[in-house]
Amino acid sequence: MPTFNDFVSILKSDLLDFAKENLEEYKNELLKDGTLFIEKVKSDLERWTEGLASGALSKTDFEFLLKGKKDLAQMEALKQLGLSKIRITKITNSIIDVVVGSAVKTFL
Amino acid sequence: MTTKAKLLTTITAITLSMIVWSCASISVFSPEAYKQAVDLKVESLNIMSFATMPYADYEEEVIYLNTELDKAFEFSKGRPDNEISTEQWEILIDKEGNLLGGFLKRWETEGSLSEMFVTEMQILVSDAFDTIIGLESGKIDPSEFK
Repeated sequence: MPTFNDFVSILKSDLLDFAKENLEEYKNELLKDGTLFIEKVKSDLERWTEGLASGALSKTDFEFLLKGKKDLAQMEALKQLGLSKIRITKITNSIIDVVVGSAVKTFL
Repeated sequence: MTTKAKLLTTITAITLSMIVWSCASISVFSPEAYKQAVDLKVESLNIMSFATMPYADYEEEVIYLNTELDKAFEFSKGRPDNEISTEQWEILIDKEGNLLGGFLKRWETEGSLSEMFVTEMQILVSDAFDTIIGLESGKIDPSEFK
């Protein structure tokens, strides 16, 4: 007859596997998004400074664009915050599945 | 109560509290909000493309667009647990800011804007809408909780 300690032991192992898999995936996604954003900032700045130098952009235009990029970065950060919350919700639901799965494995 | 019954009661309690907690953290996916954001992205970028021409010629269209943007903001604000998306809309349409709201205000104030500025702002505004659309499409469909 399995004991409660058996259940805890199986649950710990299942949760560890689950965490390893999900955290790695999340870390990779964040790194990818962050790198893409930095690359985009760099190419935008190159075009804008060229535009400023050629007269295609005024100083006011240039400043407006820079501040716009800052606003956009804020919106992107909010998106990432929201997606993190969604991920936590999904992980919470998955943890419930892991707990139930471990209990079934142990007792049934 | 047996150990097994205690365990099941505990698991049920943990499960229910986790579901309640996780559901309360952020709003679920809304097809209406998603469509609203996509439609407004297309309309906004289209109207922005005329900003090299006199504002007076497009005043009616800009007023209409501003009304639709305000409606989207209010819709977002009225949804439960939707503070993050609402804050995104607020930044996008802020007339004192430097995205769509600020752009339309500047067009009105200055009469017309330079071609490169308009093109570059279209890229920024497009990306800004994508952050709203991306967050909405990432939200969990309510059917997943059933």
